[in-house]
Amino acid sequence: MTVFKALLIDSYRQLSAAKLFWLTLGLSGLIVILYGSIGFNDQGVTVLYGIFDVESEFITAGSPWARGLYMGIYSTFLVTIWLAWVATILALISTCSIFPDFVSEGSIELSLSKPITRLRLFFMKYLVSMLFVMLQVSIFCLGVFLCVGLRLGEWNWMIFVAIPIVTLFYSYLFAVTVLVGMLTKSGIASLLVTGVFWMTLFSVSASEGILTGIVTSQEVQIERYQEGIEKQQAKLDEIIAKSSGDFRIESKRSHIDKMKEENEDSIELLGKVKAWEEPISWILTLLPKTGQTIGLLDRWISSDDGFDLAAIMRGDMSELDNVEETDPTSHYAVKRETKKRVEEDYDGRSLWYVIGTSVIFEGIILGIASMIFCRRDF
Amino acid sequence: MSAIDLVDIHKTYKGKVKALRGVSLDVNEGEIYGLLGPNGAGKSTLVKIIMTVIHATKSSGTVLGLPIGSVDGLKQIGYLPEHHRFPEYLTGTQVLLFYSALSGVDRSTRKKRASELLNRLGLRDWGSKKIQTYSKGMLQRLGIAQALMNNPKLLILDEPTDGVDPVGRREIRDLLSELKAEGHAIFLNSHLLSELEMVCDRVAIMVKGEVTMQGTIDSLTNESKRIEIEIECTPPSWTHEVFDKVDGQTMTVYGDDTSSVQPLIDRLRTDECAIRSVKPVRESLEDLFMRAVDYIDNPGSHGENE
Repeated sequence: MTVFKALLIDSYRQLSAAKLFWLTLGLSGLIVILYGSIGFNDQGVTVLYGIFDVESEFITAGSPWARGLYMGIYSTFLVTIWLAWVATILALISTCSIFPDFVSEGSIELSLSKPITRLRLFFMKYLVSMLFVMLQVSIFCLGVFLCVGLRLGEWNWMIFVAIPIVTLFYSYLFAVTVLVGMLTKSGIASLLVTGVFWMTLFSVSASEGILTGIVTSQEVQIERYQEGIEKQQAKLDEIIAKSSGDFRIESKRSHIDKMKEENEDSIELLGKVKAWEEPISWILTLLPKTGQTIGLLDRWISSDDGFDLAAIMRGDMSELDNVEETDPTSHYAVKRETKKRVEEDYDGRSLWYVIGTSVIFEGIILGIASMIFCRRDF
Repeated sequence: MSAIDLVDIHKTYKGKVKALRGVSLDVNEGEIYGLLGPNGAGKSTLVKIIMTVIHATKSSGTVLGLPIGSVDGLKQIGYLPEHHRFPEYLTGTQVLLFYSALSGVDRSTRKKRASELLNRLGLRDWGSKKIQTYSKGMLQRLGIAQALMNNPKLLILDEPTDGVDPVGRREIRDLLSELKAEGHAIFLNSHLLSELEMVCDRVAIMVKGEVTMQGTIDSLTNESKRIEIEIECTPPSWTHEVFDKVDGQTMTVYGDDTSSVQPLIDRLRTDECAIRSVKPVRESLEDLFMRAVDYIDNPGSHGENE
């Protein structure tokens, strides 16, 4: 415990000595102040502590819309954009040289000569290096917690879930930074490789998302076509049973043939896309799921009243529309059903899939880095 | 019990570079032991193996009675690495507190020892200052203080006077003598031969990964003890028979028995040969070192030099 505490204090001193730490904290503070400047009254929304008013019929003080908007800003913008992108980039810049400095000549001898096993030293150093993110996110969440409490009258402790989630998300990337730092002893190289790795994760994840969307869309299309074909066939049979010379028979047959043709096209396209989607899904299963890890926050802080906060924030209000479809094979009907299924698919992905597989990847990377650390002559 | 007892230590780096070729040496408790050698001799590699910074290819032996690299052993060792680099964001006191915490020293002892050692090393007024403001000599003294924080039984110092001015060097030498008197064993790695000669009880000379000589400075230089007589005339013919060596106007008798040269001096006077000087000569550590290096580089020429 003495050793861990010493490393933790040292880590804080190292970070607080860096200007970037205070810059990030300052920016976080500014964002919290801006967030806190949004309020609600009976007429609508107030911005910048009442300097601007935006009148709204629905988003008024105490309404679920107000809560939806406020929490949505938190989960979609503050966490997903600020914490998971901008602050993470600043954190990586701040911490990329921690391990290269730690193993540099003249420094590592002092640590290795102490009565601590190398493995313990490595993992302790790794854990305390998370301090930057943990501190930043904790202070940020505290600010948001106060804003939400004061503005909505709701003391939502789930806001603090962002601390482990963002730290976990950051740890996936930091593991790669550490490994590259161990191999190259260069902070810049660590930062660059981590950046490339992060972009690769983003690309794989985006590709998987797009391909899953196409696959689901084609599946919905096929289902709808098959349902449509059966219905049309039944109607045709009914017409023929009444009168074999009915003028509608030809047009029905032609319509059924067209649907069958389109259905076959969809089956063919589905086969082609699945050939890409399956391996990409497997690759994503093996890699850390950064986006989905941050997405857990949306899942956990969404309200139970059927509100889709993310959808509101994206400006996509279709979830709230209760449209009766006359033609289930229509473009909009298929799109709506696809979107619903894709969201169900993502929301249904287990914690084991999202976090477990990511942590396994992180563990493997750290295992390699720690093995290098333990076996290397310094 | 030996403080350090190394037997047949080998280290071969990748690329088959043999840094250590079967080094064996022992350091007694309460003595100051100096390890000498030219650059690239393997001195730092040996020290780093003792401190677990480098893994030996083959090793056996003990440090403070425990296997090399034992965590319990490391608790009782203080180490100052060569070219050490403390985090610049720390103050002197914070450096001492941080590294002693890694050694597992409890909080109250840490604070007490830090204050004592800053005083002892002449850094009392600098404890609260960031180390980026320290001079090289001050950093070196802070490094020694750091190595002493856990009150070690064995102190391993790699080039402790590097960058220290003459006054500081003297202070460090005095400190080492005090520590020896307190019962600490000190293993000193340095290339400053005169420094080592002044403080070490025993030395080992290492060249190209091998210990070529080991023992007290007196015993190592014993063979080289001689008495040189310098005269002002041409050496008489008989001198070639009775002196061990005649080189110009200088004649040498090996050994330190002054009584054996008295009749020779008398005989030179009888021959009316003026004597300019008579002096006992002992090989310096530097001479010894050069001889060891020369022997490794030119093994065949060793006898001729003698």
